[in-house]
Amino acid sequence: MQDNKEKYRELANRIYDLDGEVYQCVGSNLGRTFTGSRENTVRNLSVLMYTKPDGHLLRSELALISNMARTIKDKEQRSRLMEKYNQILREIEDLPDVFGKEDILDQERVALNNLVSRRQKISEGDHLVICISRTQGSAGNDIGFELADDLKINYYDVEIFDQVLKRLEAEKGAVNDKESFADFNKYGKRHTDLKTVLREFNRYHGLPKQDAVFFNMSDLICNLARTEDCIIMGRCADAILKNNHIPHVSLFISAPFAVRVQHIMAVRNMNLKQAARFLRKMDRQHRRYYEFYTGEKWGKPENYDLCINSANYGIKETIDVIRRLLDE
Amino acid sequence: MKKILSVFMAFALSVLLNPTAVWAAGEGGAESGVPLWLCIPFAGLLLCIAVMPLVKGEWWEAHQPLVVVLWILVMVIPFALLYGVGSAAETVLECTVNDYLTFIVLLFGLFCVSGNITMEGDFAGSPRINVGLLALGTLLASCIGTTGASMLMVRPVIKMNSWRRRKSHIMIFFIFMVSNMGGCLTPIGDPPLLMGFMRGVPFFWSLHLFPVLIFNMVILLFVFYHLDKRNYRRDIAEGRKPDISKPGTEFRIDGLHNIVFLVMIVAAVILSGVLPGMPAFQDAAGNARGIHIFGEVSLSYPSLIEIALILLAAFLSFKTTDKEVRVKNHFTWGAIKEVAVLFIGIFITMQPALMLLKAVGPNLGITEPYQMFWATGALSSFLDNTPTYLVFLTTAGTLGFTGGISTTLGTLPAKMLSAISCGAVFMGANTYIGNAPNFMVKSISDENGVNMPSFFGYMLWSVAVLIPVFIIDMFVFFM
Repeated sequence: MQDNKEKYRELANRIYDLDGEVYQCVGSNLGRTFTGSRENTVRNLSVLMYTKPDGHLLRSELALISNMARTIKDKEQRSRLMEKYNQILREIEDLPDVFGKEDILDQERVALNNLVSRRQKISEGDHLVICISRTQGSAGNDIGFELADDLKINYYDVEIFDQVLKRLEAEKGAVNDKESFADFNKYGKRHTDLKTVLREFNRYHGLPKQDAVFFNMSDLICNLARTEDCIIMGRCADAILKNNHIPHVSLFISAPFAVRVQHIMAVRNMNLKQAARFLRKMDRQHRRYYEFYTGEKWGKPENYDLCINSANYGIKETIDVIRRLLDE
Repeated sequence: MKKILSVFMAFALSVLLNPTAVWAAGEGGAESGVPLWLCIPFAGLLLCIAVMPLVKGEWWEAHQPLVVVLWILVMVIPFALLYGVGSAAETVLECTVNDYLTFIVLLFGLFCVSGNITMEGDFAGSPRINVGLLALGTLLASCIGTTGASMLMVRPVIKMNSWRRRKSHIMIFFIFMVSNMGGCLTPIGDPPLLMGFMRGVPFFWSLHLFPVLIFNMVILLFVFYHLDKRNYRRDIAEGRKPDISKPGTEFRIDGLHNIVFLVMIVAAVILSGVLPGMPAFQDAAGNARGIHIFGEVSLSYPSLIEIALILLAAFLSFKTTDKEVRVKNHFTWGAIKEVAVLFIGIFITMQPALMLLKAVGPNLGITEPYQMFWATGALSSFLDNTPTYLVFLTTAGTLGFTGGISTTLGTLPAKMLSAISCGAVFMGANTYIGNAPNFMVKSISDENGVNMPSFFGYMLWSVAVLIPVFIIDMFVFFM
C-alpha cells in the first residue's frame, strides 16, 4: 500500500511538472491547467489515482494538458512532451485498483492529524497547530487563550489577526490609504460611494472585499502553521489547513444555548432577551461565514478531531481534557 | 405547446411521407427532387462531430479532414448521379464560394485581429466580474458582431478564471450570450439580420429587439450568477485562490491599435450588405455583378471587396503587432483550422436539407409569430441560420399581411419579424454547430485548460437553461 502511495505521488509530481513544462513551451499567459500549488495539486491528483485509478475524472484532467501540448509549435518539444504524457498515461493504466480495500481510517485525514502524527511520528518537522472553532458564549476564547498559555505557544484570534494583516499591508508599502483589510467587518452592513467602490474594485482585483480578505487570511494562516506552534481561533482555519494539507488538531467547543446565554449575560452585561438575540445572530453569522468559505457544515462532528461541551467541564477541566489528549 | 408540437410533427411528416415529391429550387432556379436520404451525410457528419471526440478522440483529431471529405463525397456522388455532375458542381460551388468563403474569411479575420490583442492584468474571476464580462460581451456583440465579440473576449475571460477549477459553465454561458443572443440588436450583430437588412428591413429596426434581449439577459445572468457563485464557493472550499498578493490591480491592454482593424472588418461586413443594392454593383437584371465561376455561380464584387478588406485587416494586424502578444495569448491556428475543416463539410452536406427546407417551409402552415420563432430557431440550431432566416422571412412575406415593416419579400408585422429574427439569432446557441463562434469558443477553451462538455453534454445545458427561457420568451413576446 505504501509503495502504491509513493507511486501515486511520484506520478502526480510528474504530471504537475509536465503541465508546467507544457505551459512554459506554449508561452501563454492565459493560465496553466493546474493553477494550484504543487503540494495541493499533487495531493489532489494522488487522491484521484488512489480512489479511481481508471476513472474519467483523472483522464479528463490529463487530457487538458495534452490539448495544450498539441499546440506547441516546436515539433521536437511537442513530441518529447507528448511522449512524457503517454508514458504517464501508460503508468496510470497499470496502477492497481485499491478502491474500497481500506478500513474506516481516512488516510488523508490521518496524515493531517497532529495527534496521530505526534504519536506515530509521521512527520517530525510539523508544528503543533490547534484550530479551535467555538460558539459564542461557550468560553472557547478563554479556553484557547489559557491552553496557549499552558502550552507556551502563540495564540491567534480575530484581533491579533487583524493586527497582523494590518502590519502585512503596511510592510507592502504600496497602499497608503487608511483603509486596510483589518478594518473590514465581515458582519457589518456598509454604505459606500462610487469612488470607494471603484477603489476597492481595483484594490481587491475585482473580488468582493470579504473574499479578498479571506484569501489573504488563508495565506497568513498557512504561513503561521508552517512556521510555529500556535493556537488559531476560528477563521475557518481548520478547513484552510486541511485544504493546504498542513497537519493540525481541530476542536469544536460549544455549550447548551441556555448556558451560553447565562455566560453572555454575565460577561457582556446584557439582559436575557438581548443575550439570546445576540447569540442567535452570532451563531447564524458564524454558520454562514463558515459554510460559505468551506462548503462544510459548521459544528458538524465529522469535521473535527474533537468536539467538547464546555459546560460539562468548565474552562479549567476542558483545558485538562485537551492537554491529556495532546500529551498521551 | 400542443400547437408547436403539431407544427414540428407536420414538418417531419410532410418530409417523411413525400420524400421524392419534395422539390427544391436552387438560387439559379434549377429545380430538382431532393430525397430525404440525401440528408443522411449531413446527419452523419453531425453525429461524427458529436460522438467521435468521445469514443476515439485522438483518431478523430488526426483524421478530421478525411472524415469530412468522406461525408462530402457521400453526399455529392449520389447527388451527381441523381441530378448530373453539372448540377452537383454548381450546388457545391455555390455554397462554397458564396456562403463558406465569406463566412470563413470573416471568422479568420476576426480570429487573427483579436488574437493580437491581449489583456495584461490580475483581475480575478469571481461571479460578479463574470456577470459584468458577460453583460459587456453581450452588448458588444451587436456592435462588432457575435464572432468579433467572442474572439475579443474569450481569452480575457479564460485568463481571469484560470485560478478556478469549475469554469466550463462560464464558457457555456459565454456561448449562449456573447456568441449568439448579443447579436440581435443590429445587422452587424449576426448574418441573418444583415440578410434582412439587404432585403429592406431598416438598419435600426433590430433595436426593437432590445426588450427581448434585456429580458433574456436578466434571466440568464441571474441564473448564471447563482450557478457561478455556487461553483466559486466550491472552488474556494477546495482551497483554490487567485494570486492577489499585490494590493493593487495592474491592468494593461497590449495591441490595442488592432481595434482599428476590428473596425475595418466590421465596415467590410456592412459594405457587403450595402453595396449589392447600389446600381454600380448591379447588372441590367438587378443582380449583383461579379466574377463568373461556373454555371450560374459567380463571386460578387461586394463579396470580393469584403474578403479583400478583411484579409488586408488581418495582414496589417499581424504586421503591426509584436509576436510576443500572440505568444502570451496562446495564439494557435488549431481552433480556426478545426472550424474551417468541419464547417466546409457542414456547409456542403447541409445543402439537401436546405433545399428541402426551401421547398417545404412555405407549405408548413406556419402563420403565427410563436410558430415562426420555434420553427426558425429549431432549424437554426443545426442548419446555417442565415438561409433558415431567409426561408421563413420569405414565407412570412407571402402570407399577405398589409401592415408592418415593408421588405422586398413582402410586408411583415413587427411581431412576426421579431419572432423570426430572435429564433434565428437566439437558437444558434442550442448546439455547438448552431453558430460559428460557438465552436471557436469551444476550441479555444479546450486548448487553454477548460474542460468543455461534449456535443451532447452542451445540448443538455441548452435544453436545461435556454429552452425554458425561450418558452418564457414565447409567452411574453410572441403569442
